[in-house]
Amino acid sequence: MIYVDGVTKEFKKVVKDSGLKGSVKSLFNRKYNIVKAVNDISFHVPKGEILGFIGANGAGKSTTIKMLTGILTPTEGRIEINGQIPFKNRKKYVKEIGVVFGQRTQLWWDLPLVETFSVLKQVYQVEDKAFNERMAFLNEVLELNDFIKSPVRTLSLGQRMRADLAASMIHNPKVLFLDEPTIGLDVAVKNNIRKAITEINEQEKTTIILTTHDLNDIESLCKRIVMIDKGKLVYDGSLTEMKTQFGKYREVNMSLFSNEDFDKLNFVSEFKVNDEDIKINRSKEKITVTFNSEKISISNMLSYILKNVQVKDISVNDVNIEEIICRMYGKEVSD
Amino acid sequence: MKKISDFINLYKPFTKAGIQSAMAYRTSFLCFALGQSIYCFVMYFIWKAVFMSSGESTFMEFTMADMTVYVFLSNLVGFLTNSDSTDNLADEIHDGSIIMRMIKPVNVDYSILTFEVGNKVMIITCIFLPVMIGVEIYRYAVLGYVAFSIVNFLIFVVSVVLSYLLSFYLNLIFGYLAFFLLNIWGFSILKGSIISFFSGALIPLAFFPGIVRTIFEQLPFASIIYVPTMIYMGKYSALELVFVLSKQLFWLVVFVVISRMIWGWAQKRLAVQGG
Ligand SMILES: Nc1ncnc2c1ncn2[C@@H]1O[C@H](COP(=O)(O)OP(=O)(O)OP(=O)(O)O)[C@@H](O)[C@H]1O
Ligand SMILES: [Mg+2]
Repeated sequence: MIYVDGVTKEFKKVVKDSGLKGSVKSLFNRKYNIVKAVNDISFHVPKGEILGFIGANGAGKSTTIKMLTGILTPTEGRIEINGQIPFKNRKKYVKEIGVVFGQRTQLWWDLPLVETFSVLKQVYQVEDKAFNERMAFLNEVLELNDFIKSPVRTLSLGQRMRADLAASMIHNPKVLFLDEPTIGLDVAVKNNIRKAITEINEQEKTTIILTTHDLNDIESLCKRIVMIDKGKLVYDGSLTEMKTQFGKYREVNMSLFSNEDFDKLNFVSEFKVNDEDIKINRSKEKITVTFNSEKISISNMLSYILKNVQVKDISVNDVNIEEIICRMYGKEVSD
Repeated sequence: MKKISDFINLYKPFTKAGIQSAMAYRTSFLCFALGQSIYCFVMYFIWKAVFMSSGESTFMEFTMADMTVYVFLSNLVGFLTNSDSTDNLADEIHDGSIIMRMIKPVNVDYSILTFEVGNKVMIITCIFLPVMIGVEIYRYAVLGYVAFSIVNFLIFVVSVVLSYLLSFYLNLIFGYLAFFLLNIWGFSILKGSIISFFSGALIPLAFFPGIVRTIFEQLPFASIIYVPTMIYMGKYSALELVFVLSKQLFWLVVFVVISRMIWGWAQKRLAVQGG
């Protein structure tokens, strides 16, 4: 369905002096910095899968989505989706895809929402019957009826996002690209949107690629994730696998009577482990120690702490996936 | 024929949306129209003063009646053919929202064009028709006979359509500058003054001395306002008509080709701003 093979995108950043003079000068004599926003990534998505695309800010997620949707041309590499090359015949290609860029809207700002849908109906040449069924379905899952007659500029962010998601699905696309579809939304609307995504995926076998910073989106929607960092692919596999791979880490959360006490502890020399097996995170109320439970047993860890400092409260937890992801980013940085 | 009807079906909703969004801003639209009318009257009084002080009844084959018609008509034509595509496109390029056009199965330039045509529908009904009727009444009052001719009017319509398209693509090209420059505000102002001077919107090109006039008339800007206005006023012979209309067509083709080339180039190297 979706094949991405060795794709790289370079941006030329013009280095220019400030002011009008600088602008004019840079017109004739341009100096560039080349930034590799996406660096040689490859992956494959079969039909009907929901793929979670994650990475830190600036990792290259949006750039990748823009290449997949035919907006940007890759500097190198090959993309094939539905048997088509996105940027080659853009107009034909985009008929079969739906796109949401969470920070933007494709709705007509000054028109009532319902007008946007009728514009899209004509642009994508959707038959009346299919359109009505689709609208009924979207109305039901995304609860659009309350504001479908209001001008888009009067909608709240959550309403607008639901409407945008509906707009991206009106023509029953084979592939959906969702770049941060839950950005800035409250929990209830997020659930709403997740439900819509799941249902569209189950009913229509729509292939979906989704980027997000909310790992709950990932947990509730995606079996598989692709992670990129600084433009490079660092992980491609199932979410469960990633959890087991990093599942050996545990964290101890404690609050102390006196935080200075904590300085008395030195885990690395006590347990004779490497720096990367231990991570300490201190705040005023709480200290978190993340450690590799294969190297340090939980009981040893606890007894060492309890023996040396006065503890008000202490607990041991699994590491959550946010922590895992932070670690993976960290690993890449130190390479 | 099939192609044309497909085109209409695909872009009709854009024009409809254009009409609706013009309606949404009707108050500011009316204020704008009022401001332009005041401007027309100011120009009228200035020219009147010029004619009075010269002491002659005609100036470069223009009578004061001609001049009056010219002032109102050229403004009207300016209204009809003016295009906001420079600023609209530049804004979309700057904030990156142009990608929302690119994910639709439409041409970027046609979708901007057909939307703007929707705005023009408002201008035609609310401004063009009333002012044109006013001009005809004035001409009848001054000349004592009906100067209006259907054939001439149809040629004028063709010419206005050509000059609008020409002006649209010219403006679009300036808009594409936003791919290269962070701020095109200065260029946009410069373009505005160039057009209003060289298009005859301020002073009829007929008033410029020989060689200057000939040069100005060959430039694309003359095709935007001066030519349709002169056609309406019946100042061209049949042969001249063929010539000026083909000149309009020629410049239109040139600008379409240039804008397509820039777009094709930009699509390959496009760096859309914003996450
Ligand atoms: N038009 C552009 N010109 C130059 N550099 C760009 C451009 N667009 C993106 N970049 C750079 O490419 C890198 C990747 O950006 P991208 O928007 O893909 O990140 P992202 O993963 O979507 O981040 P976020 O989570 O913040 O949205 C960044 O370093 C960014 O500065
Ligand atoms: Mg992004």
